Amino acid sequence: MAKATIGTETGAALPASGASRFQGAASLSSIVLPLGLAFIVLAAWQLYVTIWQVPSVILPSPVSIAKYIVARYDILLMHAVPTTLESAAGFLFALLLGVAIAIVITYSDMAREALYPNLIFFQLIPKIALAPLFIIWLGVGSQSRIAFSVFIAFFPVVIATTAGFLSVDRGILRLCRSLTATEWQVFTSVRFPMALPHIFSGMKIAITLAIIGVIIGEFITAQAGLGYLIIFATARADTEVSMAAIVVLCICGLLLYGLVALAETVANRFYSADSR
Amino acid sequence: MLSLAPNADVSAAETPLVSAADVQKTYFTRQSPIHAVASASLDVARGEFVSLLGPSGCGKSTLLMMIAGLERPTAGSIMLAGKPVAAPRRDIGIIFQDATLLPWKSTLENVLFPIRILRLPIEKYRDRAHSLIKMVGLAGFEHKKPGELSGGMRQRVAICRALIHDPEILLMDEPFSALDAITRDQMNVALSEILETYRKTVIFVTHSIREAAFLSDRVVVMGGRPSTIILDMKMPFPRPRRFEVEETQEFAQVCRQLRLTIEAAHGHGQNSDREPVKQDPGKATSAAVSIIE
Repeated sequence: MAKATIGTETGAALPASGASRFQGAASLSSIVLPLGLAFIVLAAWQLYVTIWQVPSVILPSPVSIAKYIVARYDILLMHAVPTTLESAAGFLFALLLGVAIAIVITYSDMAREALYPNLIFFQLIPKIALAPLFIIWLGVGSQSRIAFSVFIAFFPVVIATTAGFLSVDRGILRLCRSLTATEWQVFTSVRFPMALPHIFSGMKIAITLAIIGVIIGEFITAQAGLGYLIIFATARADTEVSMAAIVVLCICGLLLYGLVALAETVANRFYSADSR
Repeated sequence: MLSLAPNADVSAAETPLVSAADVQKTYFTRQSPIHAVASASLDVARGEFVSLLGPSGCGKSTLLMMIAGLERPTAGSIMLAGKPVAAPRRDIGIIFQDATLLPWKSTLENVLFPIRILRLPIEKYRDRAHSLIKMVGLAGFEHKKPGELSGGMRQRVAICRALIHDPEILLMDEPFSALDAITRDQMNVALSEILETYRKTVIFVTHSIREAAFLSDRVVVMGGRPSTIILDMKMPFPRPRRFEVEETQEFAQVCRQLRLTIEAAHGHGQNSDREPVKQDPGKATSAAVSIIE
């Protein structure tokens, strides 16, 4: 519910108490339905592979992938750690850069006019095509992968955060002005909390893009990481390993996404809390 | 020294709290300048409730915003408590047409918002916030978010917020015009009750004749284009006022006079660019209906 509290327009009512009666049933179905569907798909996959005896190089069965993950979790973990850390680093830099650009765009008309069209144009570049250049510029270390990850992930943060900063009700700004509020007070107590839901939706897109950035970086050059493992295993026609790496990658992505969602809950709680 | 005190009191009582002298406001656009307020002079005494009444676009809100220091007059001067108004000031409480509450904050925190902005000690004002919230009938809703309140309730929160730092003067810009008619009547009674407890100087902008007559000590009618003050009228009804006042013959007569004044200005003001028919009864009635709602 905290998610809905922040940023709801004054006119929008929160879910009525009548809806909460069904919440138990709703949350049950919201767990059972997706898990059930996933199970059915996996079962069909398993059946298909077993009945038609598909070779493991073409498509390994879910059970064999699971077995591999359990058996060689040490190797997978070893590769998961750098990918996750680099993704997290890329995401954090993208967040800082994105919010900083959004602040500049919000407060300076000149910067907005100069920056905005260029940012859009920048966005139209097929950025994956630039990945090899990052290796040339920054070398083969993790810095080039993190930089590429930032490059790919910062844009949604800029767009969402700017939209958030500009979404502030003009009446509230006028009220602040009538109270002789400083620009800093307006920012910390009105603009920033008002923009938070927007910032978090930008962050949720950015975290997935940050992972993609790191994986692409690892495809090109790396000595470790899940992207490296996928490329390495695929080159050796070891499809089971590369599938296992993809599964682990999904889990890592889920973990990072979960952390963002958690941060959102904490932030909402902080801003909507009554002072004591 | 002792002999001076009464004199000082007398002069304080005589000096109006708000004094606008020949205030003009012109917006310069690319096509032609728009004269929002051609000339307005207005004195408001301490503790007085003055309504600025007129049709939409007559510059009454502009005048209010200039008194608030949110707009600068093009010419003329506005004095508040003997000092010229050049910028927003801390001793003003403002209520807008929309409640403009922070949607993520509770009622209590919204009421305390000015205290935070003004960097006053929160602890000292917490009790006052609670008693204001109780006064407007929102006891039990202190920890609800604006999204959980009705429009009338939100506007009550806005009233509490405007009063929390105990401002000298309360400026209200069509505060109830977004509410339905029934809620609006209730809010009018609630406001006059609140002001019986927390006595304030009030300047109240409205386009409802009934509302202005019911609430005010004085009604100032603005109109014409370019806009000026066309009537300044004392409301003769005793206080405290309740709904019953509106049923008296006297109230009906006052409303009628206000309506006719607005109609007259409306006739050769807003309609002048169409056709100069002044005494068309059908037209006058429809104009009056649109003003009264």
